[in-house]
Amino acid sequence: MYGDDYKPENYRYVGHNTPRKDAREIVTGKATFLNDFSVPRMLIGRALRSPYAHAMIKSIDVSEAKKLNGVAAVLTFHDVNPNWKMGWPPTKPILGQELMYAGDPAALVAAETKEIADAAIALIKIEYEELPAVISGLDAVKDGAPQLYPEYKNNIVTPGYPPFQKDGPFWHLIKGDVEKGFEDCAFIAEDTVEFEKMASPAAPESPGAIARWEGGDDFTIWADTQSSYILKILNSSVIMGSNLDVHTFNVGGSYGNKQSMVVQVMSAVLLSLKTNRPVKVYQTKPEQMTCFETRLGSQVHARIGMDKDGVVKAIKAEWTVDTGCYSNATQGQVGVGIGEAQLVMCKCPNWDLDTNLVVTNKQPAGIVRGYGGQELNSCLSLLMGRTMREGGFDPVECFKKNYVSDGDRYTWRDGREWQAHSVSYIKAIEAAAEKFGWKDKWKGWGVPTWTSEDGKLVRGVGCGIIGNADVGEDNTEAYVRVVPDLFGDGAHVVLQTNITESGMGQRSNMAKLVAEVMNIPYEKVELTPAETKINPTGFGLCGSRGTITYGHAITNACEDVKHKLMKLAEPYLEVEADAMELRDYGVCCKARPGKFVTWKKLIPADLSLTGYGKHIENFSTPNFFIVFLEVEVNKETGRVNLIKLLGGSDSGQTLDPAALEMQVQSGIGSASLDTALFEEHIIDPAIKRTMTYNMIEYKWRTFNNFPEVDTSILQSQFDTYQFKAVGVGEIAGAAAASATMAAISNAIGIQVAQYPATPDVILKALGKIQ
Amino acid sequence: MEVQTITLKINGTDYEFSVGNLFGQIPARETLSQTLRNRLGLTGSKESCDEGACGCCTVIMNGEAVTSCMLLTVCCDGADIITIEGLQDPVTGELDPIQQSFIDHYAFQCGFCTPGIIMSAKALFMKNPHPSTDEIKDALSGNYCRCISHYHVFNALEDLAGKGK
Repeated sequence: MYGDDYKPENYRYVGHNTPRKDAREIVTGKATFLNDFSVPRMLIGRALRSPYAHAMIKSIDVSEAKKLNGVAAVLTFHDVNPNWKMGWPPTKPILGQELMYAGDPAALVAAETKEIADAAIALIKIEYEELPAVISGLDAVKDGAPQLYPEYKNNIVTPGYPPFQKDGPFWHLIKGDVEKGFEDCAFIAEDTVEFEKMASPAAPESPGAIARWEGGDDFTIWADTQSSYILKILNSSVIMGSNLDVHTFNVGGSYGNKQSMVVQVMSAVLLSLKTNRPVKVYQTKPEQMTCFETRLGSQVHARIGMDKDGVVKAIKAEWTVDTGCYSNATQGQVGVGIGEAQLVMCKCPNWDLDTNLVVTNKQPAGIVRGYGGQELNSCLSLLMGRTMREGGFDPVECFKKNYVSDGDRYTWRDGREWQAHSVSYIKAIEAAAEKFGWKDKWKGWGVPTWTSEDGKLVRGVGCGIIGNADVGEDNTEAYVRVVPDLFGDGAHVVLQTNITESGMGQRSNMAKLVAEVMNIPYEKVELTPAETKINPTGFGLCGSRGTITYGHAITNACEDVKHKLMKLAEPYLEVEADAMELRDYGVCCKARPGKFVTWKKLIPADLSLTGYGKHIENFSTPNFFIVFLEVEVNKETGRVNLIKLLGGSDSGQTLDPAALEMQVQSGIGSASLDTALFEEHIIDPAIKRTMTYNMIEYKWRTFNNFPEVDTSILQSQFDTYQFKAVGVGEIAGAAAASATMAAISNAIGIQVAQYPATPDVILKALGKIQ
Repeated sequence: MEVQTITLKINGTDYEFSVGNLFGQIPARETLSQTLRNRLGLTGSKESCDEGACGCCTVIMNGEAVTSCMLLTVCCDGADIITIEGLQDPVTGELDPIQQSFIDHYAFQCGFCTPGIIMSAKALFMKNPHPSTDEIKDALSGNYCRCISHYHVFNALEDLAGKGK
């Protein structure tokens, strides 16, 4: 396949559903997840956790715990190098004397079994001095608020994440002249909106890691991370000079959340260093819910102005981002959030979008699908909606006028200006609106689409839009190795790439690309496990980047090995490479298919032939997603039902339609759409502990409570790479929460802006309760 | 001294266990899930919430779908248990029709909850080979899936429910 050959009509696998390579293992229970795996002589690591949101350890006595039969090590802050700090900048000791949230580890135990470790924890004598705590991002920046770290004045984290922002920190977008811009606006809205319930993506599989110290600076890590390489780089900066070889398995859900997992990995590393045995640290569900990373808290005060045609012309906003007890590169999320806001309002020449990244005495908050952009969108979209309401604009028409298109410029997370290339989504917006029946349903802002005869039930529609240019992020490479079969003239092609499967099916999708270019059956493509040492560099499936970045690198690798095969075939076929094609594990002459030579004959006996390909980071092809939905509100009970949902995109060339359809549907769960309806972490304001600590207290959507769902996907052949794919990924649910709020507001005719819109929020808005 | 034992039939094979607190014995606190996963290596069913809320550990006991994290093994003496590993034909390798339908309809994403979902569905189909959509939804209402594969699961099971009607 060359240049013009990359066309949908030529594809055997791309664009068609193919059973996943791991399908049989998954349905038979053979697929291996972290907790199904163990290492010889492995110990179990457990933590003693702080009952207070902020406390100093006055004294700690572990002597009785150490005596318990089966205990291999007990560690406190006395035993750990205080310079081994987590976060960016390095801030929080792995084990500190000062505890920063209810659940913060005060001691670590390694024992032969979980039961022995827990018994040892009960024997630790600890005395705490409770300190004043702050759990609101807005309160944390006030003078006199409790301070978490001396280096963070007013609890404001140092801006900038160097790996993302090589030219310097990027946290404040200034463009044009905002005040002058507002003078030209016909419609302006201003308010404060909060999205600060810090919901949990709640992966079914808890975060965990096994660490084995190999001597010197070397460790082997087995972890349920969605990206072994990201885990490696984020953890290697805690113990400078350490060298981690990271292995993964099938991952039981991540949703962006299980990436660096520094607390789990470093706890296991410390215990393995101390015991010289492998140690597993695997969180219980209550630990995952109360101690693992949540969504960021978000408070936005913004003023948005539109001209008389509905084009946004000026934005002044202050975004306070609550990252919980420490920032693990949240600065990167702030950069992406600023970037995604621009994609939605890309024709706006005047910006002053300032941010404060703040620490509070809560469990860490960090990466969850949507990566900052979703949190900001959930606030900013409501204010953009109010400006549309001022002008009486139909939101669909407004989105068409404002959303990024080919040629538009925006500043991305690296602080550099990028220009959109090739992509345009107006047709996709129109197609999705038509399929949903928007024109019939939309009655105007604050007007229900339907009211029951008794007036108790009302329905309203809303829509939301979002995009992400991270789809081209991070340099990535791949090897493709042609391995002739031992017997016969066939071959396998081994794809060496660092992709962990956490649900999106991209390992199989990438195998399809190899099968297309090499013109072999999909079944003949094999993949290496996602391990950092044996694979070339790959950041895994984050930032919705898999389709473009891996697709590009892998296709380049295939073309490289294909070119090598053709050069080797020249003496046999006596034509130039561009007159050849691959067929039946060999190379043939296009004009005379009978002139044919097998790969096995071209490659020296017992050896293989390797192609190399790479993708270089590029933020110029943002993707797109629009969600339309209809809700029904019971004005007597305040209950909101989501009754219909349509997700629309132009994914470029689709790799697998079934996988893509499920990505669209996935936007309902994992702390996305339902953060507008019932998903929230509830913190007791008196004791400052998370009360939604398990799968019963934390609310989630059950099988018998799903709405009607539909999709509208176009497949424009955008100029991204050979296969012209863009993908959808994490943004499927990113604008769904704000769209739900708009739909509720339209149903009841009163603006609701408090996430989640639980019955008490609705009844308060209706003036039925105080 | 008389040793207390219990017997479980698991995927057609009888296993006799010694009960007690000595090394290797099953203590009274051990859950069925722990016995299946840690002693027999039947790791297909998963432990997730450990309090019966998510259904990831679902197995079939005496014809009913049960959450194995909520049962003490010592209370299961004489039980007939089927796990996800017991659905596939051990000789021919042929998959259970539910398993095959899950592949055909791509009814999973991360796959962690899938064994539990399949076992809940299997218990339903054992009693009712042609369940309605509402019966399917109710039978699965105790199963958590965070990737949102629900719609494809419905497709897989509704397709099967309609066969041979």
